[in-house]
Amino acid sequence: MKWIPNFNSSNSLRVIFVIAVFILLFLSSIAYKHNQDLNESSKLVMHTYEINIQLERLMSAIKDAETGQRGYIITRNARFLTPYIYSRDKVNTSFITLKKLTADNPKQQENLRRLFKLIIQRFVSFENCLKYSDPKTYDKRRLDNHMFGGRILMENIRFKVDEMNDIEKTYLKNRLKIYDDEISLSPLFSISLFLTALFFILLAYRQISKDFQRLKVFNKKLLISNGLIAESETIGKFSTWQWDLDSNKIDYSDNQYRLLGYEPGSFVPVKETFLDFVHPDDKENVSNSIEGIIKNRQLPFVYYKVLLPSHEVRYFKSTGKLLTDQQGSKILLGINFDITDEHLLNIELQERNKELEKSNKELASFNHVASHDLQEPLRKIQTFISRVSDADKAVMSQSARDYLAKIEVSAKRMRVLIDDLLLFSRTNTTKKEFIKTNLEELLANAESELTEVIEEKSAIIVANKLPKLAVIPYQIEQLFINLIGNSLKYSKPNTIPSITIESTKVNAEDYPEILDQNVKKFHKITFTDNGMGFDPQFKETIFILFQRLHSKTDYPGTGIGLAICKKIVDNHKGYIMADSEPDKGSVFTIFLPD
Amino acid sequence: MQKNALNILLADDDEDDRLFFKDAFEEIKIQTNVEFVHDGMQLMDHLLNSDNKLPDILFLDLNMPKKTGKECLIEIKKTEHLKNIIIAIYSTSSSEEDIEDTFIQGANIYIKKPSDFNTLKKIINEVVTVNWHYHTSGLNRDNFLLRLK
Repeated sequence: MKWIPNFNSSNSLRVIFVIAVFILLFLSSIAYKHNQDLNESSKLVMHTYEINIQLERLMSAIKDAETGQRGYIITRNARFLTPYIYSRDKVNTSFITLKKLTADNPKQQENLRRLFKLIIQRFVSFENCLKYSDPKTYDKRRLDNHMFGGRILMENIRFKVDEMNDIEKTYLKNRLKIYDDEISLSPLFSISLFLTALFFILLAYRQISKDFQRLKVFNKKLLISNGLIAESETIGKFSTWQWDLDSNKIDYSDNQYRLLGYEPGSFVPVKETFLDFVHPDDKENVSNSIEGIIKNRQLPFVYYKVLLPSHEVRYFKSTGKLLTDQQGSKILLGINFDITDEHLLNIELQERNKELEKSNKELASFNHVASHDLQEPLRKIQTFISRVSDADKAVMSQSARDYLAKIEVSAKRMRVLIDDLLLFSRTNTTKKEFIKTNLEELLANAESELTEVIEEKSAIIVANKLPKLAVIPYQIEQLFINLIGNSLKYSKPNTIPSITIESTKVNAEDYPEILDQNVKKFHKITFTDNGMGFDPQFKETIFILFQRLHSKTDYPGTGIGLAICKKIVDNHKGYIMADSEPDKGSVFTIFLPD
Repeated sequence: MQKNALNILLADDDEDDRLFFKDAFEEIKIQTNVEFVHDGMQLMDHLLNSDNKLPDILFLDLNMPKKTGKECLIEIKKTEHLKNIIIAIYSTSSSEEDIEDTFIQGANIYIKKPSDFNTLKKIINEVVTVNWHYHTSGLNRDNFLLRLK
């Protein structure tokens, strides 16, 4: 669907956001790990220092014992032995602590075990020193040996403690180095990751604001077109409705409420609402159409009546279509047209048409009456007269013979009248086939039809070049016959009749009062004669049916000939006019469209 | 009834016309048997009755009660053993429509009823003596309507 603006960027936005979220998650997990590592290393440092401190305590306790013992040996004062006595407990306490601290390190445990062995030896040495320094058991050589051995043991203990401290320090150093390596990689990496995430978020922000701008523009357009639609619905007397088949929600346009005789939004439409408005005559039909639209996805125009709350009947025309939107939900879209005005106009037109057809039929039957029924008795009168033979006439009186002659003349005149009248009505009713014809040919035909009278009056007919036009050939021929015949009939006595026929092409705008301005060019054909002419006051009336300017005894005629001419020219959407002055001849002018 | 004479049948509801027709045939002195029917129904009954001899030429009026001449013409042309009868339309009407219709339906000639008895005689003479085989093969819209010179 073209009319829905495409916001594809929402997909790329989603991708950008997902990437950014992943980067941030990654960053926070790294930060968490750093924290853990720092914690770990500080614990490690604490651990090392604790071991160090305990070892130093151990050391100082032994030193205290040694110092105390020396003091006692020199002074023999028992007070010097107090630290020596407590040192054993102190050593034990430190030892237990150390054992716990190094529980995870078998090498240190081994060292600790050896250290303990050395310390025990040292204390044994203390006991021996005390024993051999006692005056009761004094033995200088043994005392010296034990004092000396104690010295060596002391150095061994110091050595062992230093070794253990060194191991811890090395271990600490190694561990710190590993953490350092891990941490030293990350700051640059995490900053670049952070910047990337920031970049993506900025990109997304830019996209969003761009979309927002577009949305604003489309929104404005939508508002305008909504207004226009509402306005055009009111002007055009139509309305729209939407039926969301999935949610079964129906929306009427404002004008739909108005067309149904309500204020916009004054009720909530459901599926059955619309049928309530449909005239009972059409309910079934409309209901079927609505069902059909779902099946066929398309609704051909349906025509029906609607009953307004005011009991007014309106005529509606509706059509609809099933649409599927981008989300795949089915929406039924419909348009209702209020065609009441057109419908009423149509009915009126139909009635007029019927009337016209009726009057046309009447005309046709008149034609039939004239052509058949009226002619039949006349024909019989004439036939019966013809059956009165010369022998019969011989035995008649003179007056009876005269009456018979007058009957014959009248019957003949009646025949001419009927024939002319028929010709006149047929000019109107017969088929009008326009064929491109050379008017010169038609003029030649007309002249040959009139040969007898032309020769009788020695008339001179001069024509300049006539055009080729799309005309009804036999009618134009009749027109020429009638016009030339008319001129010959009303020629001046004792003057050779002369008729000049001229044709020129003219612009319609040069004759604004008489010619149809929708046609640009006309052919103006004039018939100028040197006949007796007529009073110009009659130049309009001579074209009216049965209008005669002369008595029928002077000039036999029916008063139909020029009326036929006018009718023929009318059939060709042309114009005919006459101009004349008595004794100065007449000019008949016809205009035929190019 | 004379043998070898032409069988002529006139279908016309008008008594006067039948009279003119009869008189004209008597005066032209050609051996003919002339019979009359008064309307379309009677015409069809006459033609479909196998006791009656089929006419050589049928003069058919168009405007007749019960069944019009056009209806009879269509029926005759549809009936196998009747369709070769020569049919001369004999009508007061000279409307283009009637001439066109009967030509299309297969009539052989169209005669407009004359208003002079002598003309009628000439027409009948012309129709009866024409070589129908020759005329029918060269039939067209121009010579369909009989015009006397």
